Amino acid sequence: MQTDTRLQTSNYATKPVTKAPAWHGLVAWDMLLNGMTTGLFLVAALSELVAPDRFAAVAQAAYPVALILLLVDLLCLVLDLGDPLRFHHMLRVFKPSAPMSLGTWCLTIYSLPLTVAAAISPFSEQSVALEWVRRLAVVIGLLPALGSAVYKGVLLSTNSQPGWKDARWLGGYLTNSALLLGCAEMLVLSLLMNDANAVTILRPALGLLLVLNLVALCLLGFDLRATLSRIYSRWEVFGLSAVSLGAGLLVPVCLLLVSGSSLFMLAAVMFVLLGSLFIRFVITALPHASA
Amino acid sequence: MASREMELTGFPQTSDPPRGPLSALLGRLIDPFRRGVPPEPRPPTGFFTDTTVCIGCKACEVACKAWNELAADGLHWSGNSYDHTGTLSASSWRHVKFIEQFPADHAPSHPVPQDPTPSGTGFSLDALLNETKEGRWLMMSDVCKHCVTAPCQQACPTGAIIHTEFNNVFIQPDICNGCSSCVAACPFGVITRSSVDGHSHKCTLCYDRQRDGLVPACAKACPTQSIQFGPIDELREQARRRVADLHKRGVTHAYLYGDTPSKSYSELHSFYLLVDHPSVYGLPENPFNPWLHMQGDYVRALVGGLTAIAALLAVLLLLGN
Repeated sequence: MQTDTRLQTSNYATKPVTKAPAWHGLVAWDMLLNGMTTGLFLVAALSELVAPDRFAAVAQAAYPVALILLLVDLLCLVLDLGDPLRFHHMLRVFKPSAPMSLGTWCLTIYSLPLTVAAAISPFSEQSVALEWVRRLAVVIGLLPALGSAVYKGVLLSTNSQPGWKDARWLGGYLTNSALLLGCAEMLVLSLLMNDANAVTILRPALGLLLVLNLVALCLLGFDLRATLSRIYSRWEVFGLSAVSLGAGLLVPVCLLLVSGSSLFMLAAVMFVLLGSLFIRFVITALPHASA
Repeated sequence: MASREMELTGFPQTSDPPRGPLSALLGRLIDPFRRGVPPEPRPPTGFFTDTTVCIGCKACEVACKAWNELAADGLHWSGNSYDHTGTLSASSWRHVKFIEQFPADHAPSHPVPQDPTPSGTGFSLDALLNETKEGRWLMMSDVCKHCVTAPCQQACPTGAIIHTEFNNVFIQPDICNGCSSCVAACPFGVITRSSVDGHSHKCTLCYDRQRDGLVPACAKACPTQSIQFGPIDELREQARRRVADLHKRGVTHAYLYGDTPSKSYSELHSFYLLVDHPSVYGLPENPFNPWLHMQGDYVRALVGGLTAIAALLAVLLLLGN
């Protein structure tokens, strides 16, 4: 069974079979905010649990920030629905086979201990009982926070859209990136609070996480190379790679290595945030660019 | 309508339903969580579309729109043969595709008569009947494939997409919240989110008609029986006999698409008889269920996260104490 090459056929064969979902800028922002809130919580919680003397103060400031980021993220998720007033239908069923269902439940469960931790943090020093409740909330929140970070990439990679369907390491990259973002945020909070002890540890930690994230991004880029070269020109792919790898990861590494001044560290964090947002916009646009 | 009214008299109303904004709000919040009793499974049904007898009349499109009260899409000249529907959408659950396969230069193989009247020279019925067939038309009525293992159903986080008692894929319109996961998951590009109500829509395989023992509107309207409806096992047997018959007649390219499962995809409850590559008809050559990757993707996502956590802990333990 072969198509006769002498014959001109109508153009269904040249059109993409799949339909791109109406996921645009809000989804890119959601991916960033999801990483920022879960990453900040995880890094704050782990830092506080491992080295409470050095990180307790910064961590207590981090939880309310993580809660605000989560609320903005949830707003993005709700607004992105076709019928936002039906957002609660997400909780009708628990369906682990659907990453969006698993993610919704993880985010919902994560929001509870995060709210408790954020609400108690300002008052925890006044009572030992409150402090224990706060710590318990932090420990309980660890697993759902990790789940909330993990599901996002799998949600995009387990579908039929060009680019996303080939991105086996998208989940790996986004989860890794969440920790990177969380560390960057913790560093900013430490700088703002003039907590030199925390800064001393978070600066090398951020450098190490940047290197790991570079590896994850390279794995993702390897997955996406065929799709990118099909929809973009060689120079466009070069530009995307330069901005993603260079501005988003290499420049911050250099800034962290060059100087330990606050200005350089803040600039490094700014590059990390902008680079992460850029990469998420590129990922979100893949099915639309393929159409 | 009259019979329906007679049925309703058998259920006398004992009290007025609650009214007001508070009841409306509570209803909106609580009703989606209520569960009915699932109906008993019935023999699976489906469509068999024999594209070799499709004449592109679009009666199926019209019947579908009429029965399901789908809005008209307007008339847009697509420049793609007679296909002005363009694609399956939230308001077009059937889409007749037209594939013209003719020589690229469109040059006629016989001289054009100077005098086009029947009495003119070089023009005769015999000449017309004996002219070389250099091209062909392929036509196909596309629809939801009602996959046995449906990625859209697997992706749906609200439970709006279900398999009915006839094992057809059905979107519950009162549950869907328009998250578009199903749109992203469908490898055939069937489901679309409506810009009017924000919910996803597609062919229901006329669930309402089936429950009343009726044939789906498109199959009922098809004048050539290109669209056949029935128990899926019977349809498969019928389709295989048809393929064998076509092979005997010299149509050796005829084959069935989606009647059996492949390594990467389940069988379809709406399957096709085709005579060219699936891509020519706008179908994926090798459909792939994205859920086959899910387990590995979760593992890689965890590896990415746990590696970062391990690195962070290492720094914290080395420098923190």
